[in-house]
Amino acid sequence: MARLVVLGGGVSGHTAATFAAKWLGSAHEVVVVTPNSQWNWIPSNIWVGVGDMSKQDVVFDLAPVYRKGNITYKQAKAVSLNPEGKEGADTPFVTIEYTGQGKEGQTEEVTYDYVINATGPKLNFAATPGLGDANGLGEYTVSVCTADHAVHASHELDRCIEKMQKGERQKFLIGTGHGMCTCQGAAFEYAFNIESKLRKAGVREMADIKWISNEAFLGDFGMGGLHMKVNGYVVSSKLFAESLYTERNVDWIIGAHVNKVEKGKAHYELLDGTMGEEEFDFAMLIPPFAGVGLKAYGKDGSDITDQLFAPNGLMKVDADYTPKPYSEWTASDWPRTYQSPAYKNIFAVGIAFNPPHLISKPAKSPNGTPINPTPPRTGMPAGITGKAVAHSVCDLITKGEGVQLHEASMAEMGAACVASAGRGLLTGTAAAMTVYPVVPDFDRFPGTGRDTDYTFGEIGLAGHWIKQVLHYLFIYKAKLKTGWTLIPE
Amino acid sequence: MEKKVVPEELNFQNNDKMNLTMIPSRYARFMRTCVIWQFIRFVVLNIKMLIVVRKSH
Ligand SMILES: Cc1cc2nc3c(=O)[nH]c(=O)nc-3n(C[C@H](O)[C@H](O)[C@H](O)COP(=O)(O)OP(=O)(O)OC[C@H]3O[C@@H](n4cnc5c(N)ncnc54)[C@H](O)[C@@H]3O)c2cc1C
Repeated sequence: MARLVVLGGGVSGHTAATFAAKWLGSAHEVVVVTPNSQWNWIPSNIWVGVGDMSKQDVVFDLAPVYRKGNITYKQAKAVSLNPEGKEGADTPFVTIEYTGQGKEGQTEEVTYDYVINATGPKLNFAATPGLGDANGLGEYTVSVCTADHAVHASHELDRCIEKMQKGERQKFLIGTGHGMCTCQGAAFEYAFNIESKLRKAGVREMADIKWISNEAFLGDFGMGGLHMKVNGYVVSSKLFAESLYTERNVDWIIGAHVNKVEKGKAHYELLDGTMGEEEFDFAMLIPPFAGVGLKAYGKDGSDITDQLFAPNGLMKVDADYTPKPYSEWTASDWPRTYQSPAYKNIFAVGIAFNPPHLISKPAKSPNGTPINPTPPRTGMPAGITGKAVAHSVCDLITKGEGVQLHEASMAEMGAACVASAGRGLLTGTAAAMTVYPVVPDFDRFPGTGRDTDYTFGEIGLAGHWIKQVLHYLFIYKAKLKTGWTLIPE
Repeated sequence: MEKKVVPEELNFQNNDKMNLTMIPSRYARFMRTCVIWQFIRFVVLNIKMLIVVRKSH
């Protein structure tokens, strides 16, 4: 009997574990190590953050689902990997520390035949003074990155709405809290959901909403923007993003590295090297992401973390990490199998793998500060990479070492993304977008780097309906209800 | 002379950045939440997205 250990039960880890357990059956064991007792459909946190959904609407308990899926569940966080075992024992293992199941604080060594690292991001609030510290979110800003953060954000928003109803003007600052952030899409959704909420509350005229981000242009989204066909033209997402911000009267500051946050004030550096500050009554600034800080040890106990992980804590996989200028980046730099080059039984999926480089054009201020979005790995690529690696591991277990691994390069896959711009069965809107491929390939698609037959975007009520349907569909799928395998990632 | 205010166009005046972009007209805004049109778009968008999903697996 072989054992697959999946670290992290988020979008990619849950996908990998549930498919692996289904494909392997009871002949082998799938273990999930994840610190939370509940699964969270993160995209809907945006609606929790404006009070349109409750926390209960976006989470469910993992234990019964894993029981049903024949998965061993350990509510714990992985601390370190010993890929060669330890003195006197050759079996590789993961050291975990329990966070629940009545064993809080206890550690355990979980041996494995294969391990999939799907630990997602560490929300690195501490990277920006005032945004937070090692313990997480600070006191001056809010966040929607977790369901609990979103509940808190919603309460703070209600307080601002009350003040506006009493005639007090409020300033909202939404965007990214560091020059190296990703996840601009989530901040974008939150900005426009707030705008929509304020209109519905009848206080829009009392609010100044400003966007601040590390993108070199509006609509970059960490993907270098996208070009799409509209009314006979092929146009940049910049034009559409600027149009939406103007229509909804959301002013913007771009190319900004927020370098310090104080009570009611954010300090930033711009791409042209100038410094600025922006006052706010309410701010939601996405933190930069890093790896969760797993360590790795050799058989003799020596620290081999740098063999498995990049300095940012994300895991090295089969990508081409050779440093090269933007002009020499190619689609083939991107990983295909997500296998660790150091150990063939270790894989990393979703946000946990280290990308070879940015997707957006790199940029620095004259002071040398890098100000550019890092590559997004949204739900669809996270799910697809999780499933492809689960497939590979199942083949390795059932067919033996020589099998061809399954491939899922972000330079060959597309992504569908629906960004809410306000909720409402008949009044809601969302930007429905697809890009193909996620990583532009200028050899295959000279000009825009993408296939404009499959790269498109449009805003409207239909997008909102799709977003709403996806909410129910993905929670249904994650609960392993009848027919769950038929729902694509 | 009579003053002609087109509400959709007012934000062009907010600042130079906003002045240099495009703003949807009343018709374009209406179509965004027109239930019949959006139902058609819902079907079309789902098909387009499913094609991209198929190409990606
Ligand atoms: C507010 C917000 C809105 C978003 N909206 C969208 C959207 O509309 N569409 C879209 O496609 N994407 C969206 N995303 C992005 C999407 O959520 C991510 O792409 C996706 O969650 C990444 O999956 P993952 O498995 O890599 O990480 P996660 O889903 O974050 O999962 C990581 C898991 O690992 C666990 N973990 C952490 N540390 C450890 C440890 N030491 N040991 C074991 N487990 C650990 C975590 O608790 C978590 O369960 C949004 C993100 C945010 C923050």
